[in-house]
Amino acid sequence: MSTDESQDIDSATTAVQQPDNKTRRYDRQLRLWAASGQNALESARILVLSASATSNAVLKNLVLPGIGHFTLLDPATVSAADAGNNFFLAGPASVGKPRAAEAVPLLRELNESVQGDAVIKHVDDLLADDDGRAYIRGFSLVIAHNLPTSSLDSLSRLLWEDIGDPPLIVVRSAGFLADFFIQFHEQCISQPHTDETPPSLRITRPFPALLEWARELDLDNMDPTDHGHIPFVVILVRIVDDWRREHGGALPATSTEKQAFKAAVRALRRKPDEENFDEAEAQAWRVWAEPAVPSDIAALFTLPPLSGADAPLSETTPNTAFHALLRALAAFVRSERGPGALPLSGALPDMRTDTTSYVRLQTIYKDRARVEKALFGALLAEECPDVAPHVDPEELDTFVKNAHHVRVLRGRRWGAWAADRAAVASSLEMVPRETATHLALNALSTLLNEGPDGSKVSAEALTEEVQKVVGEGVALPSETEDAIGELARAPTAELPNTAAFVGGLVAQEAIKMITRQYVPVDGYCVVDLVDSWTGLVGR
Amino acid sequence: MSTADGKVNGRSAHARAILGPELYARLSGTKVLLVGAGGIGCELLKNIVLTGFGHITLLDLDTIDLSNLNRQFLFRKKDVKQSKAMVAARTAAAFNPNVKIAPIHGNIKEPQFDIAWFRNFDIVLNALDNLDARRHVNKMCMAANVPLVESGTAGYLGQVQPIIKDRAECFDCIPKPTPKTFPVCTIRSTPSQPIHCIVWAKSYLMPQLFGEDENAGGELDEAEKQGENAQEIATLRKEALAFKAVRAALRTPHEDGSSSAARIVFQKVFHSDILSLLSMADMWRSRAPPTPLDFDAIKAGTFAVERKGQAEAATNGNGSSSRHANGAKSNGSDSQASGSASTEKMLNGVASSTGSHSSAGLKDQRALSLQDNLELFVSRQVLCEDTISFDKDDDDTLDFVTAASNLRSIAYGIPGKSRWEVKEMAGNIIPAIATTNAIIAGLIVLQAFHLLRKSYNALRNVHVQFKPTMPLSAIGMSQPNPNCGVCRDTYTEILCDPARVTLGEVVHSILGDGGEAGGTGKRDVSVYEDKRVLSDPDWDDNNERTLESLNVTRGKFLSIVDDEGEYATIQVGIGVLPPNHLIDSPALILPSPLPSPPKKAKAVAPRPVTPQPTAVKRSAPDDDDDVEPAAKRVKTNGAMSSGLITTPSKKRKLEEDGLILLEDATEKLDDDVIVIE
Repeated sequence: MSTDESQDIDSATTAVQQPDNKTRRYDRQLRLWAASGQNALESARILVLSASATSNAVLKNLVLPGIGHFTLLDPATVSAADAGNNFFLAGPASVGKPRAAEAVPLLRELNESVQGDAVIKHVDDLLADDDGRAYIRGFSLVIAHNLPTSSLDSLSRLLWEDIGDPPLIVVRSAGFLADFFIQFHEQCISQPHTDETPPSLRITRPFPALLEWARELDLDNMDPTDHGHIPFVVILVRIVDDWRREHGGALPATSTEKQAFKAAVRALRRKPDEENFDEAEAQAWRVWAEPAVPSDIAALFTLPPLSGADAPLSETTPNTAFHALLRALAAFVRSERGPGALPLSGALPDMRTDTTSYVRLQTIYKDRARVEKALFGALLAEECPDVAPHVDPEELDTFVKNAHHVRVLRGRRWGAWAADRAAVASSLEMVPRETATHLALNALSTLLNEGPDGSKVSAEALTEEVQKVVGEGVALPSETEDAIGELARAPTAELPNTAAFVGGLVAQEAIKMITRQYVPVDGYCVVDLVDSWTGLVGR
Repeated sequence: MSTADGKVNGRSAHARAILGPELYARLSGTKVLLVGAGGIGCELLKNIVLTGFGHITLLDLDTIDLSNLNRQFLFRKKDVKQSKAMVAARTAAAFNPNVKIAPIHGNIKEPQFDIAWFRNFDIVLNALDNLDARRHVNKMCMAANVPLVESGTAGYLGQVQPIIKDRAECFDCIPKPTPKTFPVCTIRSTPSQPIHCIVWAKSYLMPQLFGEDENAGGELDEAEKQGENAQEIATLRKEALAFKAVRAALRTPHEDGSSSAARIVFQKVFHSDILSLLSMADMWRSRAPPTPLDFDAIKAGTFAVERKGQAEAATNGNGSSSRHANGAKSNGSDSQASGSASTEKMLNGVASSTGSHSSAGLKDQRALSLQDNLELFVSRQVLCEDTISFDKDDDDTLDFVTAASNLRSIAYGIPGKSRWEVKEMAGNIIPAIATTNAIIAGLIVLQAFHLLRKSYNALRNVHVQFKPTMPLSAIGMSQPNPNCGVCRDTYTEILCDPARVTLGEVVHSILGDGGEAGGTGKRDVSVYEDKRVLSDPDWDDNNERTLESLNVTRGKFLSIVDDEGEYATIQVGIGVLPPNHLIDSPALILPSPLPSPPKKAKAVAPRPVTPQPTAVKRSAPDDDDDVEPAAKRVKTNGAMSSGLITTPSKKRKLEEDGLILLEDATEKLDDDVIVIE
């Protein structure tokens, strides 16, 4: 019933179009990040350094949801051990052949709409000349697994040079231990998908249609059924209106006043089973605890773009559109034509009411949200006339709907934290096992620099390296020994399950970075699968 | 495929270094049962093949769908509609020739997968997507005393729980939320939310039109018993009769094709049925009455709904106000916009593509006009020869449910839903992505290592969570819930020929005489199979009947519940006689020693003991009228097929709550459902 042909016929003959095969394939993930997230994924071009089992696990998890293109860069040939723990090799038949070239066709098989190629080169060769460096910077995301410190250092510095450089995810693993870090300049998130602060319902700043509804309520002579169905929002707007009239325009502020306000809600209840009044009382905090602009959003109004506070927004500013939208948001809050608050999201929470009232409430909120969005659009054009025409209407729409939740994250260069001795020392005290594991992995990367086969790695050598980083004289917690013991046991071994786990975790973060939805991990995420924990250091 | 020593050593070098030679050596002889070859199952199969588990039995009843391919990476487009277990085994086996994979395309609840079968395995790994199968495997693992790793994912969230009898909580130690249910009358006559109309279209209209022709009266009988409005029930009965005629029309070829049958269906459900509901004036005194729809007028574009008494309140069947939700729980901002296409827009018959301004990406997120819905309804009536049931991934049934629920919503003045949203709501779709499954599958194997190594202190319940500061949360194991109705029972097994042993014989033998052979000795007990009462101290009619005639057969359990509540419940698993068993030997082989259930810490003496082993948190039925034992039916029905016996028990489940279940017990939820407490 669902072959391609019948679909064509269907869409030709029915008013309702069937979703295409792509939508059907991606159905379960579209419900998570929607078409905008999918589009972002499909335009991503990702460079992956080293064709290890872990890298290939990461790539598998990016190819399946449909990134646009990947390049797998690796100079090595397949060893027997590779063939045993890397699913994306043709087993013993791959032994002796280039790892990247062997893996790419098998990865591409996962999703025919994803392009991919193999580059049989060492990353140091690329880093050595301008063409190579430009090539690396041309990707939208770079992921590096188990590179020796020297390569990592050059790579992270290269991608830190310009604010337009792509994010870099540094991944390291050995045995049951791993860590990863996302180096990025700026991540602007208009859909963090958090429900920490519910958007304002404007109960204390009601728009005309809402206030009108609240005022026209004839609470005393209302039909009892209708009375039990007044949406809590309208009840609160009404009581706030009455309160202000009696209190010279002020809202309840002291705890006595707040109690009095709640008592006023209860006083209007006619029967004990009027759940809409329960809701109104439970939601009364919105009256005194809902600022016009939440402080973390207000902080964004004064945050200069990375290109500098004075430089005008232009095509070359990273996240131009987002910063333009932020400026419009600040202007919206200031504007005399606006509500003096963030624009209405238009969304309503669940509530006790009847269908008619709910639809009416929904309609006035949506209408008002439309009006405010139009004002927002006009202000955007006034504030940023050069950028406004290039802002995708859908992006504007998303931004306005999520105005209460938008975030801007600023990152750090990979490795910068470990050089800060004071920070490391305090971290060793606060989170010893996470910090010790991270430092041990740092030491391992350094020793692999000197002998990529792990021949220089021993518990003593690792301890010495760690001590060098934290400074002589700094006492190492006992957790250091555990981590070092684990790394010394199998410094170059990739366990399939660790690879699978880290592959999932890193790809998850990569997807967050690419889609600019959800909040990525901030800091060095340390993984210990002996004890099944993850933790963060260097935040 | 070379298996020369050098290469074998080479390929396992990493794993040996990490796992240690002792555990590694054991892995090749380890027998694993992997239940489920879906999102988690594919990842897990890859991991355990790479790790070197020697003998893998992989079981899944499902076939591959296009929507699986964004994460179930062992499948390709060419594999769509083939068995998941077979294809996954084929793809993964090629990788490690030293691993034996035995795929089974089947249901884990089939009788041959009995206790003895489960005992074959060193460990069981669950990669399931539905509560029912999870509970079943959990119980079988308790009965066979095999360690289990349980898991689930939902979008970015996931969970892994190692389970081992007597040392940690089992899956049922913590009650799981039951599916949402609605009163019959809300669904059938007084819907007030989109979900009511969707449930109606999917669970009532579809089965009525395309399902098996069964007597649907039982549900109404019970609703009446539960005290729902009698006049309303009588009307609904009339409605049910009229369906017979409509079903006949659907199954008769018409000269002008499907549209005339569709017209008959439409006129019945959206016109006549609504008219007859309207005739009950009482019902509409405190709620807005529905508007009958007119097929021809809609087609001609002249139909308009006048909703009188807009201000009148609509309430659901209980008379209390209902909770209104703003559309489906959708994470994508796109779908939020289109969810609330206002009713007027639809009534005007305008295809409102302008309404969903932000749905640039997806066609089926568009709001549908009245005419759209009618057209869709008509075009999906071609399916009438076989019986058809709802499948969210089948376009025809999804379209049908979308159109029918939206038409009903229009009649009742309820906002409509896009096809995209209906799919999510009717199909209970849980978002699912490759990354979370990969994370979870990695964690499952690590917990499996701990179980195999018997390092129980290292076991952790692990949750993958949303916090950017802490992606994983790992918690040490909790002791079993002392009141758990699954893992606190005492399990035993008999081998028998159910045609030759009676219920009384089994119960008597298992209780024993309390002497050296074990057993509690003769006591007053009630005996159940699942939720069916087979006997109790005052009712022994079934004791002379054979197990087979009571449909207590291989793979099932007899629950022997101490009437005094002094001893824990004994669960007697039914197994088959060994193949070399002589035909004239006794038809019953008892366990030795007989089970000696522990005395319960707190005797709940006067109350009837909770007899329901599977529905842990449900209270006991306290009178026999409610729990009509199947055996009483046997007398009136004569011969009984197994189908007949399962139906009452299923129906009873409905009856217990007096509800229509949104999901019936046997229906699968979508992939990778997680139950988060």
